[in-house]
Amino acid sequence: MIKLYDYLLSANCYKARLLLHMLDVPHELVAVEFHPGREHESAEFRRINPLGHIPVIDDDGFILRDAHAILVYLAGRYHPAGSWYPTQDPRLLGEVASWLQFAEATTNTASAARLCVNFGYDFNLQACQAGAHRLFRVLDGHLWFREQEGLDWVAFAAAPTVADIALFPDVALSEEGGISREDYPALRRWTERIQRLAGFIDMPGVLPVAPLPG
Amino acid sequence: MTAPDPAKLYHPVASAADLMPRHVVRSRLLGRQLAIWKADDGFINIWEDRCIHRGMRLSAGINDGAELVCPYHGWRYSNRNGNCSYIPAHPGEAPASTLRVGSFACAEKYGLVWSGGSPDTEPPTIPALEGGDVLVLRSLPVNAPAALVLEALGGSSLRSGAALGTDDAVTTGTERGSANSITVTATTTDGESSVVLFVQPADVARCVIRPVLSPAPAPAERLATLRRHAGALEELRSELEDSIPTEIAVPPPVVTLEPRHSLGAAATAGGRRPQLQVGVVRKWLTAEGIAAFELAPVAGELPSFQPGAHLDVHLPNGLVRQYSLTNGPESTDVYRIGVKLEPAGGGGSRYMHESVHIGDVLNLSTPRNNFPLRRDAARTVLIAGGIGITPLLAMAQTLARQGLVWELHYFARSENHVAFGEMLAPLAGGVTPHVGLTPEQTGDELGRIMRGYAPMSHTYICGPGPMIATARALAANAGWPEATVHFEHFKNESPRDDTSEFEVGLARSNRSLRVPAGESLLHRLRKAGVDLPSSCEQGACGTCIATVLEGEPDHQDVYLNGSERAAGDRILTCVSRARSGRLVLDL
Repeated sequence: MIKLYDYLLSANCYKARLLLHMLDVPHELVAVEFHPGREHESAEFRRINPLGHIPVIDDDGFILRDAHAILVYLAGRYHPAGSWYPTQDPRLLGEVASWLQFAEATTNTASAARLCVNFGYDFNLQACQAGAHRLFRVLDGHLWFREQEGLDWVAFAAAPTVADIALFPDVALSEEGGISREDYPALRRWTERIQRLAGFIDMPGVLPVAPLPG
Repeated sequence: MTAPDPAKLYHPVASAADLMPRHVVRSRLLGRQLAIWKADDGFINIWEDRCIHRGMRLSAGINDGAELVCPYHGWRYSNRNGNCSYIPAHPGEAPASTLRVGSFACAEKYGLVWSGGSPDTEPPTIPALEGGDVLVLRSLPVNAPAALVLEALGGSSLRSGAALGTDDAVTTGTERGSANSITVTATTTDGESSVVLFVQPADVARCVIRPVLSPAPAPAERLATLRRHAGALEELRSELEDSIPTEIAVPPPVVTLEPRHSLGAAATAGGRRPQLQVGVVRKWLTAEGIAAFELAPVAGELPSFQPGAHLDVHLPNGLVRQYSLTNGPESTDVYRIGVKLEPAGGGGSRYMHESVHIGDVLNLSTPRNNFPLRRDAARTVLIAGGIGITPLLAMAQTLARQGLVWELHYFARSENHVAFGEMLAPLAGGVTPHVGLTPEQTGDELGRIMRGYAPMSHTYICGPGPMIATARALAANAGWPEATVHFEHFKNESPRDDTSEFEVGLARSNRSLRVPAGESLLHRLRKAGVDLPSSCEQGACGTCIATVLEGEPDHQDVYLNGSERAAGDRILTCVSRARSGRLVLDL
């Protein structure tokens, strides 16, 4: 069974948990006390990931770190139909890679702001927040036009991809970092669509949405 | 000429297309945060974005199609009037009618949703948009004050033609279309088109540009047009945000947005005074001897109600009658009641049947709920006899809507006596009709229904007095705790005795009154200036209840259950009296 080295309040660990649930992959959570214990920086944990960060998965001896890499691996390994990580379509694959890169940027701004506020990290909070707003403006515009095209997800595809999962936690938890989503109506609608997907699980700070009628 | 007061104007607050089903839009106007949601019946609610309980943002709440649920402690608010309809921490109590979230005026025009503090006008009419189809372009929030943005858009400092997104446009002009919009008209080889840039003043430092294009492009060009304009507007925004000083020397406007009040929900309403006027919009015979009425507000929105609530109808002939509301939470635009003809009654039902017609105006009390429904039971058993279906129908619709476990047993004399068939049909899965049974058969059936009490079950019974008595006795035998058996009588058929004479002390006002034989306690209190609310005035509805601090009440009502009577700490002042010489009330 897959082991996920996990911290409940980590946005990056939540990305891995989300996809494991959506793909219905049996897994076991190994709790790493990120705060206040800083267990991810312990000598013991560095034997699993020398970089000293989570999440990390251990799939029958295959160890993989970094949330977005884990998403790519899980989708390729456990979703044979391939819509989560569409390797057959070069354009789509490129798009997904581009949005995964974008998600690195939201992690380094929106989620970094959350680390400042919730866990006392010494980043430049204002810079993180301003950076997140710049990215959210772009993402909101992108998603607004996707809706106009009759599409629901960040990539040009009928089904969600790992890029949606990679972006969702940074966006959905942004208010905890003091980044309001009031100015991003399309972004707010997109988070609700993700929350209505089969297999969706929440985490503290992600508020429930109403099911659609019928 | 002075600038118009922004609080008196309508401003755009959202695109109509933003109001997706079961979604809550977050917006801001003149510094006030707004939660905007559309109910399944199409009504758009614009509310203050703040739960009145702990201040949680309601825009993070759950739009269930009829109620908005705060995600913090689950307070539910009704469509239209914004009244709190249920508090999970107090499942057995009806929330006070004063618990209401602030709501604001709403209008729809040009594909936008409009609101304002206390607007005394309509949303602006822009000639350029009156011609035909319009296309709502992508709106753009701008980190700059509305006044400066309007000034910049209308002036020559910006490449206003860029707003049209056509490089070959010959800009023929910009004009201030209204207090909060700029119309940019351009002529191209294809003809003339206009973009009206409405500016929503979000707060002191921010606004939202909401552009509308006319005429709408051909469907094939729609997407390209949207992209072209959005691109141009984004350039415009960069220009605007760069050109506006970061330190804005604008004093914060002191603008009081006055929430729009629903009708007649006065906190001090007492006695049996009508508080509300409604018009009869529909009347039909829903079963043999049962007329149904739909009552719509003469002005404004109807005050809120919860399942189990009733209202007083003040008839022109001076009679006052109580009728339960049959509406579920999804219909807040009308009150729907059922009236059974009582040929041997006092004339109220006869008047409703024979003399009240569509178009007539009736005076009502605001709804009052003395038969509140818990929404936290593991299983809810509803038992209706005859016209007793009315409050239970409201309950069944509420339980069904929320996906809770419930069953409704409806005892009726014959198929022809089954009322509100069209409302029962969608609930069919949970409804069991019991038609044409003798009293003995009814007792047997009730015995079967009551068998096997399981914890966290609740039952609600409404019907003829003997049936309620039988059902209560059977429930007690089957192990239902008294607190789980809820019932409502339509009338008090038990014998009453008002020959006693006693003294009543009013603890809060430090007074003593003598209640003589033949006069009710309620009447004596009213004469002394104590304005206690009342409704049926025969000991059935529970409205005139008061807290007893000392003395032994002589209960003559049918509202309290056995243990409530035995506790002796509450009294229905309309019919009950005192066994002891003196009674002290918390009044």
